Formats: sequence, structure tokens, C-alpha cells
Amino acid sequence: MGAVEKALPEIPVQAKTPMVALLGNPNCGKTALFNRLTGARQKVANYAGVTIERKEGSFHSPAGHHFRVLDLPGAYSLSAHTPDEEITRDVVAGLRAGDPAPEVVVCVVNATNLRLNLRLVLEIKRLGLPMVLALNMVDVAKKRGLHIDADRLAQELGMPVVETVAVQAGGEKSLLRALDLMWPLHVTPPNPLSAIDKVSVEETQREVRRILDAVSSDANDTGNLTEKIDNVVLHPFAGPVILAVLMFLVFQAVFSWANAPMDLIKEGVDGVGGMIKGVMADGMLRSLLVEGILGGAGSVLVFLPQILILFFFILVLEDCGYLPRAAFLLDRLMGGVGLSGRAFIPLLSSFACAIPGIMAARTIQNPRDRLVTIMIAPLMTCSARLPVYALIIAAFIPEREVWGFMSLQGLVLFALYFAGIASAMAVAYFFKRTLGSKHQQPLMLELPAYHWPHLQNLALGLWERCKIFLSRVGTIILTLMILLWFLSSFPGAPEGATHPPIYYSLAGILGRGLEYVFAPIGFNWQICIALVPGLAAREVAVGALGTVYALSQSGDELAQSLTPIIASSWALPTALSLLAWYVFAPQCMSTLSVVRRETNSMRYPLLMAAYMFALAYAASFLTYRIALAFGG
Amino acid sequence: MTVPLITLDALQVGASATVTHVSPGDGADDGAHLSRRLMELGFVPGEKIRMLKRGMPGGEPLAIKVGNSTFALRRFEAALISIQPE
Repeated sequence: MGAVEKALPEIPVQAKTPMVALLGNPNCGKTALFNRLTGARQKVANYAGVTIERKEGSFHSPAGHHFRVLDLPGAYSLSAHTPDEEITRDVVAGLRAGDPAPEVVVCVVNATNLRLNLRLVLEIKRLGLPMVLALNMVDVAKKRGLHIDADRLAQELGMPVVETVAVQAGGEKSLLRALDLMWPLHVTPPNPLSAIDKVSVEETQREVRRILDAVSSDANDTGNLTEKIDNVVLHPFAGPVILAVLMFLVFQAVFSWANAPMDLIKEGVDGVGGMIKGVMADGMLRSLLVEGILGGAGSVLVFLPQILILFFFILVLEDCGYLPRAAFLLDRLMGGVGLSGRAFIPLLSSFACAIPGIMAARTIQNPRDRLVTIMIAPLMTCSARLPVYALIIAAFIPEREVWGFMSLQGLVLFALYFAGIASAMAVAYFFKRTLGSKHQQPLMLELPAYHWPHLQNLALGLWERCKIFLSRVGTIILTLMILLWFLSSFPGAPEGATHPPIYYSLAGILGRGLEYVFAPIGFNWQICIALVPGLAAREVAVGALGTVYALSQSGDELAQSLTPIIASSWALPTALSLLAWYVFAPQCMSTLSVVRRETNSMRYPLLMAAYMFALAYAASFLTYRIALAFGG
Repeated sequence: MTVPLITLDALQVGASATVTHVSPGDGADDGAHLSRRLMELGFVPGEKIRMLKRGMPGGEPLAIKVGNSTFALRRFEAALISIQPE
């Protein structure tokens, strides 16, 4: 429904608020125009049955009419090539149940690239729906010296043509006026899709050229800087160096800027927990509130700053046009294991946390590429593994220098990161061989003109990510956390218990049962029990180890007091085996639940858990046995 | 026609050409779909194109300017496009 606005009484209210569909090529500024029209009055959901974002909003025209507006996925043609384009095709053709054909189609075109954009306009025109052409980015076109005769264009196309500047306040006014002139709107059933193929692609292109010759002159075109920038950015040697430096900076920012807000969240959660502890008597309800709900949600919520910082950079790079260039530079490298260059961003995000990475895989249009990217995303070493790595490395790896300048501990950490990447590549290659079609996958990636990122779009984009993540934390993840708390708390310890209470709980029983499974890879019952609550988020295992060893501290203090205990009670092969386990660490429930949502099936999260568990077990087994053989 | 026809994947960086033909790729359905999409992106006979960049390693993918837009194609996609170099 979108945000329901109060209808002003003097306005004749239509039976149904008319729907305006924004349609256009990718990179035409369509979403910016959508944001300009609706501001924050928008609702992002998925189209039924698929995981393609459906953005709907609403707005009032100057005459006071109320419109709903749908931002359709970008498309080059209605003869759909990607799932995104199928949605766009089906919505405008009125073929989707639940999404009736729009009353008006606003075709958004990039004024600097009419040659490409007008083809789609001619195609849609054949559907016979009421249309308006929004000549977007006219400011850029004018600056470049491109002249377009809008009146003549309207004549040629037989539809109203308005000039818009989506990135400027008021840049949408002309469109609103045009919509008011079309009022009242009536439902027009669209022509069948076969109408589009009545004219061949070549014929359509000839028509585009004819219209362009009549309405525009690019005699004074001064061009833009894009090609000059690309000379450097896509340079065979400078390009990859720039990419590497950029990525390094993003990483630095994600890990260093996020520290302060993460600490704040941690302290906040602890503070609220302390307050509750202060006012409530010790008991089940208090434990549920503090350890189950607060502790559980807090352990995931703490990643919000990293996720926001990461998405800030992704959105900036996307908005200014760099991301497709990064995909271009990496396409060959990633194509070798059957991934698309576009998989790069989701995988990069997964170093912070696999959840935003898997969500970012939506930008990959090919469903098979997207699936493989989702499947390997959790192999990237997420920051939740760091506390576990840090604990074990501090306890077992001596702090000494290698070759005079590198620390052994740092090297081990690097090796763990590298092992994750290498195994991801191997798994991708395996999927390519098994899931892959015989045909080569086309790339057909547009490298749009560079432009400055736009603040409003950036803010709305971040807000959207934030909402998605928080609603995850608030629903499925929280439910899982409460379940895990239940497992770790019931039944309570019997009278005269010699072990900590968790030992006697369901989680403890489960963990001790797991010891039979994990004994061959060197895990003791303490580790096995800690792995159960570690299902919630990987780093929770550290806290759980603390519980198992009956330590009462938390945070850094806990890690400090835990280090000597595990250093003295675990053998080195056990520690190495646990490190190897955590390279794969299949046990993050939050990730699995996001995979379920993003793939709309139980099959892939189960497959993911199974293959990661198998790899983790095999790697730990080998590590443990080899370490034992060397007398570690 | 003094310069022989070649396919786009063989065009040198910086060189310009005119599209003469787009042929369907392998696979009855997929291939026809692919060539249609290439034409929809602007690779239609008569259109001027220019090779801007090639990726590393192996000279793939290719960045090609067509009309006012730039598209990155893999080698096998570019091989479907016959051109007349200038």
C-alpha cells in the first residue's frame, strides 16, 4: 500500500490510487528520480516468489492528486534476459498477479545516452499504455553541449516529454505537472507482449537513429571525463593497483572506524543488562532477558556499525560508477573459477559479515552466479571469527619474529584468511563443474559515465540496509537466540554439581554427545559444548568457553583469563584443529537463515551447512592428525 | 572493401570499426537470445564502435564504446560481432 496519506477532502478521490511505473535502462537515474518523488515515503519488499526488490512509494502532485509509484528494475529490453527484466516485463504487461498493469508508465531516459535509451521507449510504446518520457540528467547533457529539442521529441514519439534533474531539489516538478495534465487516469489494458516483436531490433534501431537526427545535435559535444578517467582506472597495471588501494582503505575504515560505535553498542547492551540485573531478582525470566534476548541480539547487533560503514562505501562506489569497473578488472580472475566479476562486492562484504555479503549478492543478475556467490560467501573470514582466532593464537602461537620482520602470530592469522579465500575458490570451481551450464556466461556489463555520488540517495540506501538488517535481528535471529538460551539453561544443574550449570543443560548434553563425533579431530567436551551456543554467532563460542570453564568475566578480561587456561589444558594439535575448524565454521545460524530467505528455499541453506561441515571436519581431521604425527 | 572483415574480439585497443553483422551463438535458444541482446545494446549493423580497453590477464574482458555507452563483453560474446575496421 505504501505510506497511506491523508486525502484532502476537496480532491475527488479515485476509486483506486493510480499507479505510476518508473521504467528505464540501468544507469538512467531512475532510482534517484524515485527517491526525489517519494522522499522517505517508500516501502521496500520483495516481489512475491522471487528475491528482487520491489520499491513502492507515494506522492502528491501540485494539483493535490495522489499517486502511487513503482520503481521497476532497470531493463535494456522487454525481451527479458535476466530475472530483473522478467519482473519489469511482466509488471508493465500486466502479467503478474498482485501487480496490475500501471495506469501510467514514466519512461526515464538518460539524456546523454538517448541512442541506447530510446530503443526501450519505442518498445514499450507498442504496449499502448499511457506514457510520459522523463528526459533525465538534462543538466549533464546541457553542460556537455548536447542539444535536445524536447518538443520535437514529443512530436516524434507521440507522448509528453518532460525534462528532469533527479539529483536536484525541484528537478521532478515538470514530471508532476505532466502527470496532473493527464488526470483523471484510466486503466488501459496493455497490448499483448507479442506486439513488441512486430518490429525487428534493427528496424527499431533505425527508427531511433532517425529520431535522434531530427531532435538532437551533438555537434558541440565536449564529451566528458569518463574516458580519460577510464584510461587510468581500467589501465592494465594502474587499474588493479588502484582497486587494491581502494579496497585496503575500505577495509581499514570498516575495522578501525567501527571500533568506537561497536564498543558503544556492547557497553549499551551490557549496561541495560546490568540495569535489569539490578532491579530483577535472579531467576529464569531475568536470565532469559539478559542472557537470552539482550545478549543474543546484542551479539549480532554489534556488527551494525561495520555493516553500515561497508555499505556506505559500496553505495558511494556504486553511485559514482566505479563498481562495474571493479567487476571489469576482476572478471578474468574470478571467471577462472566460474564467478562473475560482480561477485567481488558480495565476497568483499563477507569479510565483515556474511549476512550483508549474501544480501549484496542481489546485484548479480545471473541466478547461477548469484547462487554460487551466496554459497561461498561464508568462507570469507568474517569478523566474528576474529575473537576465536585471537584467543587461540594468543594461547598457542609463540610471539616471535619470522625472517626478522614478520610476527609469527600475524602470519598464522594471514594464513587463516588465505585458507578461507582459497577454499572459496575451490568450492566455486567445484560448483562451476557441477551446477554450470555448458554455455559460457555472457558478461554484457555497462560501464556508465562517472558522476558524483548523491547524498539523498546515499542516505536512503543506507537507511534501507539498516532496516533490513535490524528486522532480521529482530525476528528470526532473535528467535534462534532465545532457543539457544533455552538449550543452554535447561535443565538446571543438580544438587552438589561439580561442573558448571551449562554442563547439565540440553546444550551440555548435546555437546557431550558431540564429543563422540569430534573426538577424532581432537575436540574435548568443553569445546563441543561451546560450539552449541556458538551456533548463534561464531564469536559467542568464546563467551561459552568462559561459561564452561566457569569464568565470570566478560569481554577482554575474559579472553585474558581464558588464554592461560586453554594454553595449559589443551594440546597444540587440538588448538590447531579448532583453528582449522573455524576457517569453515559452518555453524552460523544467522547466515543460514539469511540464505534461506535470499534463495527462497530450504535446499541451499541445508546444502551449505552440509558442505561446510564436511570441509570443516576434513580440514580439522587432517590438521589434528598431522600435528599429532609431528609430535605437536 | 579493402580491409577484410574480422570479428570484434580481434580489434586492437584504440581502433574503430563499423558493425556489419551479428551472428547467433551456440545453442539454439541461448545463442539467438544472446545475439538479440547484443543488438539491443546497440551492436546493430551500421553502428560505429571503438575498442577502449582490454582486461588483464589474457586481454579479456573487452571494453567497447558503442554510441554513447560503453559495454564490457567477454571474448566469446565479441566474437559474434562481425566488423569492418577503419
